[in-house]
Amino acid sequence: MFFRNLTFFRFPASLDLADLESHLASHVLKPVGPMDMASSGFIPPFGRDAEALSHSIGDATWVSVGREDRLLPAAVVNDLLQKKLAELEAREGRRPGGRARKRLKEDLVQELLPRAFVRPGRTDAILDREHALCVVDTSSRKQAEHVVSALRDALGSFPALPPNAEVAPRSVLTGWIAGEPLPEGLSLGDECELKDPADNGAVVKCQRQELQSDEIARHLEAGKQVTRLALVLDDHVSFVLGEDLVVRKFKLLEGAVDALESTERDDLHAELDARFALMSGELKRLFAVLEPALRIGRADA
Amino acid sequence: MPGPFRLLAPRRIERDSFPLRLDDGRTIEVARTRHPRARQLRLSVDERGVRLTLPPRASLASGERFAHQHRDWLAAQLARFAPAAAQGLVPGESVQLPLRGAQVPLAWREGRYACVRSGPDGVEVALPARAPPAALARALRDFYEAEGRADVGRWLARYLPGLPRPPRRLRFRPMTSQWGSLAPDGTVSLDLSLVLARPSAFEYVLVHELCHLVHADHSRAFWREVEARFPAWRAERDYFKAEGRALKGAARALFG
Repeated sequence: MFFRNLTFFRFPASLDLADLESHLASHVLKPVGPMDMASSGFIPPFGRDAEALSHSIGDATWVSVGREDRLLPAAVVNDLLQKKLAELEAREGRRPGGRARKRLKEDLVQELLPRAFVRPGRTDAILDREHALCVVDTSSRKQAEHVVSALRDALGSFPALPPNAEVAPRSVLTGWIAGEPLPEGLSLGDECELKDPADNGAVVKCQRQELQSDEIARHLEAGKQVTRLALVLDDHVSFVLGEDLVVRKFKLLEGAVDALESTERDDLHAELDARFALMSGELKRLFAVLEPALRIGRADA
Repeated sequence: MPGPFRLLAPRRIERDSFPLRLDDGRTIEVARTRHPRARQLRLSVDERGVRLTLPPRASLASGERFAHQHRDWLAAQLARFAPAAAQGLVPGESVQLPLRGAQVPLAWREGRYACVRSGPDGVEVALPARAPPAALARALRDFYEAEGRADVGRWLARYLPGLPRPPRRLRFRPMTSQWGSLAPDGTVSLDLSLVLARPSAFEYVLVHELCHLVHADHSRAFWREVEARFPAWRAERDYFKAEGRALKGAARALFG
């Protein structure tokens, strides 16, 4: 269950999450109906056969939003439609008009939908009450907002906002690469993206690159700014921080995973519980470093 | 299939310019725009200069004649907008920067990368020797956006509880004529030049856009919501009428 990408949202610390479980229970995932394109709702984080819809350790809560999408490729529908149209044209000697074509297409979709594949999917999120923070395991803004709006539907009110950096993230990231001191515990990784400040300006992406080198220094002197930067926190996690404050390629390193592997567990539930404990602990540590460095404001005064 | 006349008319916006001699001997450059949806000849003036808009099939000569006929009006309007035409920063020389309705002291130093930061005694700009002008403009834009986010973050907490839903996200960008907008998906866009305006005016625009989450129109019910949250909104609207063009002009000169 280790998260790969982190999209942050902040909610007011005064928000009451006490009866989260009962709110989630009224918005569980229902199987997608034969005539529906998709359905979404909360699923138990420990897998669909588990019971609890949320799992908490301390002030961190793990929730999971499941999806079921019907796969009906437009190309399949269009191909069948063309065949039907050709058949009709041959029979009646004229091509059906726009309205008739539209009706034919709707009929085809109705006919094909119940036979279409159902693709299951899930997106996990952690609600951290200590930092009043909601972390969604995705780098796509659309998907992250989907999870937040699912929580909003379930809770009635969930005023979560994307993090508000009170200092330009670009200039902070550029400063770190240009030799300014990094926050305690952070060190540079080996990946970055540099952008020219002009509109539609040049983009340089480096991987496996020594970042404090002459090559990078030349780019900085030419006015380029860092928009993505690989960082390592205490040899425990490596990640790429973007100027949009989305953390990508989040990976727990040996320093963190060692603790997990040293104990033997046969039970899947206990294993997932231990992983969640580790994950939420590392997230807290990471955010505690990023929050002051990027001056991320709280959602309440 | 478009009608036959749609095929004849140009579908794209075409832009060029022509010189126009005024009665006082000055020659000004008039920006000429041919717009597919324009219905008539139109002359407009703002702090960027004079613009002539032509409908798709008007001749260039008729446009120039139109501008020539109205040269007295143009001269008067240009004089009106002259004070609003602001100057940009000169690296190493400018000593003041507009911020939150005031001028703050500005210091320059050479740095390894372009960066604008506010400190205890004003704003400091670090600029590498080889940096292109766009680097300074971008750094200034990032600086104003961060300052704006700090302000909005402070105000937002007070207004969020009374709203049916929170905004989806906040965007800062330079806008031509608006001060803010609320997209149907709940994204609040705010003009970057608001950070140059006095803070109460900035706060009013934020409240205005947030109230659109309650009523997506400018009905009386909407203005009642604004009034309840920000009783002094009329004073801020008058401020924008008086100072708005100058603010937009200053922002455009600073970061384009």
